[in-house]
Amino acid sequence: MKIALVGNPNSGKTTLFNNLTGANQSVGNWPGVTIEKKSGKLKAKGFEAEIIDLPGIYSLSTISLEEEIASRFVLERNADLIINIVDASNLERNLFLTYQLLDSGIPMVVVLNCMDIVEKKLQAIDVGLLADTLKVPVVAIAASKRRGIDGLIRYLASKDWEGISPVVSYPEPIESTIAVFNDYFQDRFKAIRFFEDGLKLLEPLKLDAKTNLLLTEAYQAEAKRHDLDFDMVIPNERYRQIIDLCEKVTTKPKIATSGTTEKIDRVLTHRIFGLPLFGLIMFSVFFLAFGPVGTWITDGFVAGLNWVFSQMANGIESLGMATWVSSLVTQGVFGGLASVVSFLPQLAILFLFLSILEDSGYMARAAFIMDRALRRFGLSGKSFIPMLLGFGCSVPAITATRTLDKEEDRKLTAMVIPFVSCGAKAPIYGVFAGALFFSNAFFMVFIMYLLGLLVAILSALLFKKTILKKASANYIMELPEYRMPSFNNTFRHTWERVKGFLVKAGTVLLVAFIIIWFFSYFGVIDGEFRLLDSSEIGQSLLGTIGRFLLPLFQPIGIGDWRGIVALLTGIVAKESVVGTLGILYGVSGDAIQNGALLFQPIREAFTQASATAFMAFALLSTPCIAAIAAMKKELKSWKWLAFIIAYEMTIAYLVALLIYQIGSLPRGTAFSIIFAILLILFVLYTIIRLVTRKASICGSCGSCALKNNCVSSPSTPTEKKNKTDTRSDSHET
Amino acid sequence: MTLMDVRPGVSCVIKNIFVNNLRKRIIDMGLTTGTKVTVKKLAPLGDPMEIQVRGYLLTIRKAEARMIDVELSHEEADQ
Repeated sequence: MKIALVGNPNSGKTTLFNNLTGANQSVGNWPGVTIEKKSGKLKAKGFEAEIIDLPGIYSLSTISLEEEIASRFVLERNADLIINIVDASNLERNLFLTYQLLDSGIPMVVVLNCMDIVEKKLQAIDVGLLADTLKVPVVAIAASKRRGIDGLIRYLASKDWEGISPVVSYPEPIESTIAVFNDYFQDRFKAIRFFEDGLKLLEPLKLDAKTNLLLTEAYQAEAKRHDLDFDMVIPNERYRQIIDLCEKVTTKPKIATSGTTEKIDRVLTHRIFGLPLFGLIMFSVFFLAFGPVGTWITDGFVAGLNWVFSQMANGIESLGMATWVSSLVTQGVFGGLASVVSFLPQLAILFLFLSILEDSGYMARAAFIMDRALRRFGLSGKSFIPMLLGFGCSVPAITATRTLDKEEDRKLTAMVIPFVSCGAKAPIYGVFAGALFFSNAFFMVFIMYLLGLLVAILSALLFKKTILKKASANYIMELPEYRMPSFNNTFRHTWERVKGFLVKAGTVLLVAFIIIWFFSYFGVIDGEFRLLDSSEIGQSLLGTIGRFLLPLFQPIGIGDWRGIVALLTGIVAKESVVGTLGILYGVSGDAIQNGALLFQPIREAFTQASATAFMAFALLSTPCIAAIAAMKKELKSWKWLAFIIAYEMTIAYLVALLIYQIGSLPRGTAFSIIFAILLILFVLYTIIRLVTRKASICGSCGSCALKNNCVSSPSTPTEKKNKTDTRSDSHET
Repeated sequence: MTLMDVRPGVSCVIKNIFVNNLRKRIIDMGLTTGTKVTVKKLAPLGDPMEIQVRGYLLTIRKAEARMIDVELSHEEADQ
């Protein structure tokens, strides 16, 4: 039996999915489809089912990619049963999707989630009456507290679901219009979807040309019969039924109290304090992860790690195995792993705070606050969330762009995310800034993060003005109620990300380290191919490659082939850059240590300018294989992928070149050049603003319904109002 | 008047939706003719705006709000 889990975003779907599939879940990507649809097994006494977790959606109308996946899944009747999870604390809006699903005629159970919140608000919902009215079973649960889950499973197992098809009937003249369309489809659900979604629906259905034409004519003819706008007819009726239903089944306390969410928002999205608080929160997260606290925890962790690894290394050496084996284990495996794993505490802290921000509902506020600022760069507040996730790891961040409504917006955001410095790049800054900037190291790390963000934003602007003109950066978003992040969820979230990091360290990275070790400890000396001594490492295969590329990297200040090799291995995974340096500088000899031991050789090989250039290059150049694969998945084109990789390499090289060349000059000259560049940029910016100002008066005019109206009759009241608005805005900025 | 012109704290009823761009989304999120909407606040940078509709909070840009025709709800008009 196949059960599809469908519900609004943020309705607790994933929590329910985890609860249902439990410990024995085999969560994996849906086979054959590139889009994330998770499936897991539900096993109970004498009952087995496959649970498919569809993306969280508001409606079956195909607006965003996620909705398209879910909607197609339902339209193709791929499930034997639908579990529709409904946020009971937000019944009216959630039931809209429920009614759409009812139209499908697929057997369905409505699961009322968040009953604990409803109770807290002193409200009550008559579950029995709700079930009678909807004519489908309703089960009340509180997924986050695991209340009612067992009952739900027993209920699912106890019933024979076949042949129970719910039907929603509509009043005239809606029913007769549905009947007209149904003549062509012979499928009530498709007829209703056509009524709602209009001609757009015909494309994926792939009907023959004649039927298409007839349907188009029928659609236009029927549109005249209704008073309301045609696409509003069904939603309007549906909402009317929902309001009736809600009034019947819910009891609310007479005195409406101002909710906790409103109180918190009075501070967090305050007109004046909202923005500084946002900055403060973001800064605190990074300060806690990469500042003194994070460093302190890391130091303790590293000390412990060193002890373990050195004990193991000693043990292995005492076994008296062949030299190449002990070299492989101590230098190749331990050396690489220790350097990488030692950054785990900092990443765990970062992941922990990001998931608290996500689970509590603040991320949505961040999008709300940042929308206006990001819009200038062709992004929307909604792109802010994927970009923020990018600080953790580009891969989930790129995948998260699916929540954006338009393909161009998704492309644009996915293409700039790799510039946002991901967690795996942090160790690189740790080593280089730590080695050369001493007490200012934290400041340098922060600068690197800002640089990444700046390049991301400017690239977005460039793409929007040139190759992705259609990107409209739409924005319309729900602000979910604040929720106390539950310990369980936060822990699971953080753990999943940490686990991902560890698994990578144990698999991809391990293989990479062994390969790097082979290439760096084997080479041809005096015509003989053999294992090299630490002092001969320059003669190794990797050394040869590095030296071959040296002329290319010298202009950006990387005059040591080891640095080049480290950067090259970064393509496998950014975590391995530091690990490779560890192997190449042979610091992993006896006591295996991370960063701190690398400081000395790096101080010898790099200056402040070249270290900064190195960091910038590592930050901006091609992301790791996993992120490239994620981009390929979202961009759906080799051409675009090739373009963005070439773009990244060019930008990385240019920025590093600029940093190194200017940074190597005497201080006075460097400052005057920076000043000159800033001045030129400012003048250019002002000129561009003056030129484009006229066009930007009417915000989203390009796609607005009154476009013609807008240009030809600038004296309409709305238009005038808007003009003054824009003017006062430009004063502000 | 349009939704954009409604001051924070004031309620209104939707008369017509002219939005082209996000029309379907706006309708599905519950903004249909006759729906009561309360404007809660503007974002710190002045845009987007936060509105309460059908018991939940929705944020929408002024560019779209400008394309939604509204009239003040009766309680407001009486005052």
